[in-house]
Amino acid sequence: MTQVVIIVVIIAILIALGLGLLGMLKGGSAGSDKMFKSLVIRVVLSLFLFILVMFAAFMGWIEPNVVMMDASTLK
Amino acid sequence: MNEQEYYVPSGTYWPIIGSIGVATLFVGFANQMHGASWGGSIMALGFAILVFMMFGWFSQVVKESTSGMYNSQVDRSFRWGMSWFIFSEVMFFAAFFAALFYARQLSVPWLGGADNNMFTPELWDGFRATWQQIAFNTPGATLQSGTAVSVPTQLVDAWGLPALNTALLLLSGVTLTFAHHALRAGHRNKIISWLVATIVLGVLFLGFQITEYGHAYHDGLKLTSGIYGSTFYMLTGFHGFHVTVGVLMLTVILYRVQKGHFSADNHFGFEGVAWYWHFVDVVWLGLFIFVYWL
Repeated sequence: MTQVVIIVVIIAILIALGLGLLGMLKGGSAGSDKMFKSLVIRVVLSLFLFILVMFAAFMGWIEPNVVMMDASTLK
Repeated sequence: MNEQEYYVPSGTYWPIIGSIGVATLFVGFANQMHGASWGGSIMALGFAILVFMMFGWFSQVVKESTSGMYNSQVDRSFRWGMSWFIFSEVMFFAAFFAALFYARQLSVPWLGGADNNMFTPELWDGFRATWQQIAFNTPGATLQSGTAVSVPTQLVDAWGLPALNTALLLLSGVTLTFAHHALRAGHRNKIISWLVATIVLGVLFLGFQITEYGHAYHDGLKLTSGIYGSTFYMLTGFHGFHVTVGVLMLTVILYRVQKGHFSADNHFGFEGVAWYWHFVDVVWLGLFIFVYWL
């Protein structure tokens, strides 16, 4: 479940970043506004995601991508 | 300038200088790969020519812009040019992320006998198909086969420098947003302060990344350490290169802000660099999550 939420937030960040790009491409006052607002959303979502990942790791909901092995049991 | 006319620059020598620089760089690189003693010097010469070209060409564009030679048509061209550049960057990183997912989800499990060994039988006795970086719980231990294990515990610790670097880069996104806001509000001193903060955070990120590489390399994780080492260094290395370029771009923008090149409603140069920095920030967030956590 946590992983699904993380993926959904990542997709939302990519959409916000993409909308920011469209705003930059459009230019002018309206484009500049759209770009700035989209990038603010991008920053807020990114901070939320980082805190979510750290909290999920702290709670043990997700594990780091490191496999601990007991060397003496390996061939 | 007349809005109906498209500004066409006069003949320029910068493209041919750029071509000479790139050709010199690659001749040097190819010969360096073949062990020629002079390869490195030629590479350095090619790089110097490239830097000279970029400095000269970009300076000329800035001068043309500040002297009012560009109209809204040229502005649109710059915006489209930046967008295509960004598209190529997105495709570039998409390919490396795809390589990571392919190796991790498909090829490594196949090598380990997934799908009833449909794709590959077991390669050799003792082969272990593991994607993740393995950390042995006893540093300097010896396997049953007698092979010494030099990999220490917690080789890649997601809680340590990677988390700190993520926090630094996300914070740089916040400071850059403050600078962007200050620019739109016309507060030049605030723009400068927040831009300096962003640059400092970017340099700190690079410093910690070099430290992380030093630890990882010393502990045995190299480009040659299998598919994990290859994808790890390719992704994080190219990202680090992009952060370096971003810091240089932000420094140029800082200089241009001090010179008063931007106004509250006309600052495409700032917008292009700001979006690039946000993009590099998001790429790192993806790296942090997919390489270290998920």
